[in-house]
Formats: sequence, C-alpha cells, structure tokens
Amino acid sequence: MQTLHVSDVTLTFGGLNALSNVNMEIKPGLITSVIGPNGAGKTSLLNCVSGFYHPTKGDITYGAKHLTHSSPHQVTKLGIARAFQNLELFRGLSVLDNLLLARHTNLNYNIFQAIIFFGKAARLEAENRASVEEVIEFMELEPYRKSIVGNLSYGVQKRVEVARALTLAPDLLLLDEPMAGMNIEEKEDVVRFIMDIKQERNTTIVLVEHDLGVVMDISDQIYVLDFGELIGAGTPKDIASNQKVIEAYIGED
Amino acid sequence: MATNRWLATGNYHISYQDEQKIFSTHLDRSIFIVFLSALFIWPLFFEVSNKFMLVIDNIMIAVVAIIGLNIVTGFAGLISIGHAAFVGVGAYTLASFSRVLGDSNMLLTHAWPLMIVLSGLMGAVFGAIVGLPAMRLKHLYLAIATLSFQMIFQWTINFMDFFDQGQTISIGRVHWLTGEVARKDHYVFWYYIILVFIVLCGFMVRNLLRTRYGRCLSAVRDNDRAADAMGMHPGFTKVYAFGLAGFFAGIAGALHAYLYRGVGIESFTLHESITYLAMAIVGGLGTLHGSFWGPAAIKVLDLQVEILAEKAAHFLPASMNLATALRPFTFGLVIVLFLMFEPRGIANWWRIVKSYTKLWPFRY
Repeated sequence: MQTLHVSDVTLTFGGLNALSNVNMEIKPGLITSVIGPNGAGKTSLLNCVSGFYHPTKGDITYGAKHLTHSSPHQVTKLGIARAFQNLELFRGLSVLDNLLLARHTNLNYNIFQAIIFFGKAARLEAENRASVEEVIEFMELEPYRKSIVGNLSYGVQKRVEVARALTLAPDLLLLDEPMAGMNIEEKEDVVRFIMDIKQERNTTIVLVEHDLGVVMDISDQIYVLDFGELIGAGTPKDIASNQKVIEAYIGED
Repeated sequence: MATNRWLATGNYHISYQDEQKIFSTHLDRSIFIVFLSALFIWPLFFEVSNKFMLVIDNIMIAVVAIIGLNIVTGFAGLISIGHAAFVGVGAYTLASFSRVLGDSNMLLTHAWPLMIVLSGLMGAVFGAIVGLPAMRLKHLYLAIATLSFQMIFQWTINFMDFFDQGQTISIGRVHWLTGEVARKDHYVFWYYIILVFIVLCGFMVRNLLRTRYGRCLSAVRDNDRAADAMGMHPGFTKVYAFGLAGFFAGIAGALHAYLYRGVGIESFTLHESITYLAMAIVGGLGTLHGSFWGPAAIKVLDLQVEILAEKAAHFLPASMNLATALRPFTFGLVIVLFLMFEPRGIANWWRIVKSYTKLWPFRY
C-alpha cells in the first residue's frame, strides 16, 4: 500500500488551465473524495493519474514511482485501476469476457503455450476464471454473467465497470462518478459496494462524485476543486464549514 | 457430476476446465469427428474431375486466408484491404527461392512443409510492418494505409526483373514419401495437405481465442481506451493482429503457389483483396466458422454463375456481353444483400440453428 502524491500539477489545453498547481496526498486505506462543480477538473485529474493525460507541469508519484509520463497500461501494472464515468466497456462481449480481459497482465503464458492450450495455459485460464468468479460474486453480477454488456441496463453496466476495475486486483481504485444517473436505491447499493471494497479488499479509493450527501457520509478525506484550483481540503467536517467551498457551490451574493 | 454428456440440455459444468472445452458435449465432438473423417475419406470413393478438385482446393486455400482476415478485420476490427498482398508475400517467398535456387531445388520439392511455414512467417513479418500505422491510425484511414500496401506490392512486383515483372514463376513438383507426386494425383494430394493445414490453423486460432492472446483482439476492437486501461498496449495489440493475419495469409499464399505450380501477380491483385473481404463478410465477421462459410459460399456461387452464363451464351449468342457481366453483378448483389439483411453473415444462421438445438428435446 503506497501513497499517491500529486504535486503542483498543472494541465493546460491551449490557453485554458484545466488544473492549476493542484496538490494532493492520497493516503493508503482511506476513501478520498474529489468534489467540485461541473468543469472543475475532477475527471482531468483522474485522467492525469491514470495516464490518459500527461500534466503540463508538476509531478505525480505513487510510492517511489513517477506516473507523470506513464501510459495507461503502465499505470495499470502498478496496481492502479480506473472505472470510467462514461462507460468504457467492451460492449460486444459478455460480462464474463469483460472481466477476463481485465486479468490480461496476470496471465504469464506465452503465445506458443496459448496455441497448444493444454498444460500451462489451460491451468492459468481456469485459475483466471475462478478469480473472476470471485469478483462476480462480490459485485453480485451472477445473473448477468453471460449477457452481452451492451444489452444490460445502465445501472448494471456501471456495476460491471466497477467490477472490471476490481478484477485488476488494484491497491488504488479510481472511481469516476460511479453513482451518476442512478436512483436512490441503486446509489445505496453502490455505497455498500464501495464500503465493502475498502474494508474487505483493503483497497484505497479515490471517489469523484457529485452527490454531496454520499460524499460527506463515506469520505475520510475530501478535496474540493473549482476552475482547476484546489479551494479546500480536509475531513468532511472541515469542508462543510469551509467558506470558499460554500461560495463555490452556492455562489456569492 | 453431470449425468448427461451428449446433450447440452441439463448439462452443468462442474469445473472451469469443463467450461473451456471446445466441444461442450459428446454430440458436438462426435459430429465434428465424423465430418472431419468424411472430408478425409470421400476422395477415395468418388472419382472427381481435376477441374472440380481445383475449385475445392481453391475454396480451402481461401479458408486459410480468411481465417487470417477474420482475425484482423473480424476480431480486431481493423479493416484490411491489402489481404491479397499478404497472400502474395507468402507466394512470392516461394517464388524468390525458385528464382535463386531453381524451381526444382530440394528445398522447394522436398522440404515443402518447412517452406510453407516459412512463407507464413514472412507474411507475418510483412503484416506486422504494414500494421505499424495502426499504432496511430484508425478506421478508414487505416484501411487506406493497408490499401497503399496492396498498391506498393503490385507495383514492386510489376517492375522487378527478379520477379519476372509479375509473369508466372514456376515452382517444381513436390515429393511425397512415395516419390514425386504425379500429375494425376496433384490436386488430390494438395487437397489433403491443405485440409491438414486448415485443421491445424483452425485449432490454433480456436485455442488462441480462449486465451489472452485472442481476447486482447476483441478488446481493441470494442474499446481501445479501455483496453489500454486494462494493461494492454493497444498499438502493439493491433500490430500483433496484423502479424497473425499475415501469417495465415502467407501460408495460404504458399499453398496457392504449390497448387498452381507457379506464382503470378494476377492472383494477388486489389480485386482479390476485395473478394477476400466479401468472403469474410458473407461468412460472418468475428466468428471462426464464418471463415469456412464465406469462401465456400462465394466460390460455389461464382462457379454456378459461370455455368449459367456459359449456358446462356450457348443458347442466346446475342446475350454474350450480358452473360460476362453476370458474374460481377451477382457478386455485388450478394454482398449488398448480406450487408442489408444479414450483416452478421452465414455464421449467424448457424448460431440460430445451434440455439434451437441447444434446448432439444425441450421447446423452451
């Protein structure tokens, strides 16, 4: 379990600063939330961490490793998994295949063993399948195992998205609005999953979310972004009484 | 313990190895074995003309090529309009040996299985090189990049003295355990060889598809951003897909060269590339058995139309021009109809039949 440091990160698109001098420290074993109004740079921040964007300035480190210039697949290999906001599933494949795909890097047989299949590849694939089954059970996806992902309802697809990130067996899980567009019951389910992931699977979680009620309830640490700048950091209690945050959300008079 | 091993109905998998099996029931496996042995045995009982055997051999060579095309276009979702050029790379690998060492060199006539695999590897190398633009390009732009390889290939061969500017370069008769394969046995002999290669290639791909080397292909097809986040390098995966496609194309090319005992550029033109794409679409993109349906359907249709056109020309000499136009016309029509009404190809009919029989003897 390592700490993720985001130090002085600036991300510029042309003349627009999506992020300016953001500093964060994401401690292991906690749920850290990133909140802020629309366009505040929350998803950009996650993109920087997971390697889809590279910061213009500043540095991102995970333990002793620098992530600043890493590609997504390199970041994934370090044990950082990401669930996307706008579903990025393999829509033409079944739930099972989606999850099996996430174990890509864990399977260390070579292509010749794959062609012969019997022996090492078969054994590893069976183990692979068993570990996927464990995640399916954890995320309660049993009824949808063989369904094509593109045909499932939005709420289930969101759950598959989280399950796929979990299948990577990450130490650090980045969740980008896992509750967007859900009703209250589905939200409660997701919150329950998040708490379980933290406690049973011993995973650090970074949560980007709009639902302030949920965020205040489950977060250990909150960072608030507004127009790419960090305007508040602290425990939920600190944030609730932070004048700048209140202004950003409610507006000044 | 599953009590019933013959029908899919009521058959529950009790281990994950069980679920991975290619043939999930004894019935599936038996049908496959019977079908395969029938393919091996029938030439012993039926005397067929060389022309007919040639058509069958052609279909089977196309099957090998389409297995490759299906990997890159069907599974990895990268449109390749240069597949005939990859097939050509395989054939011209043999041709270059023939030019340097003479067409009846031991290497070509005795070590032919080695040469076929070597041609496959050569195809794989070229496939990977041509696939390099896939690191950056997508969709139509990538298709044009593969088209450019087709053009470069044709031009290069047409202007190289070494390859006789695209005229036929002969390849000697091969030897079998019993000595040189005689003229009258030629087509039957290659029927068996191609059949063996198809079975090997088929099982190779089938095995790849149930491992990570096959799954990564569908991943980059469906969503390469997510594939990246799953820890695979999308660019390299696409290059690998092209390499794999090139391998099968190369094998098909070498088989083609041996079957015709010569290599000429006219078999590897743009027209052939498009025919291959059509076969893949008609067969069903993204399915392994689609690679078998497609070539069979297109080639048999082609043959029937040719016979029809000949008959028409015989009875109505005035309709000669119309009859020659009939072939490209039906070809185009079939593709358009498939794209409109069955974009998933003949493989989808097979899937429907399978899903009906799955629940047998129950209705639902």
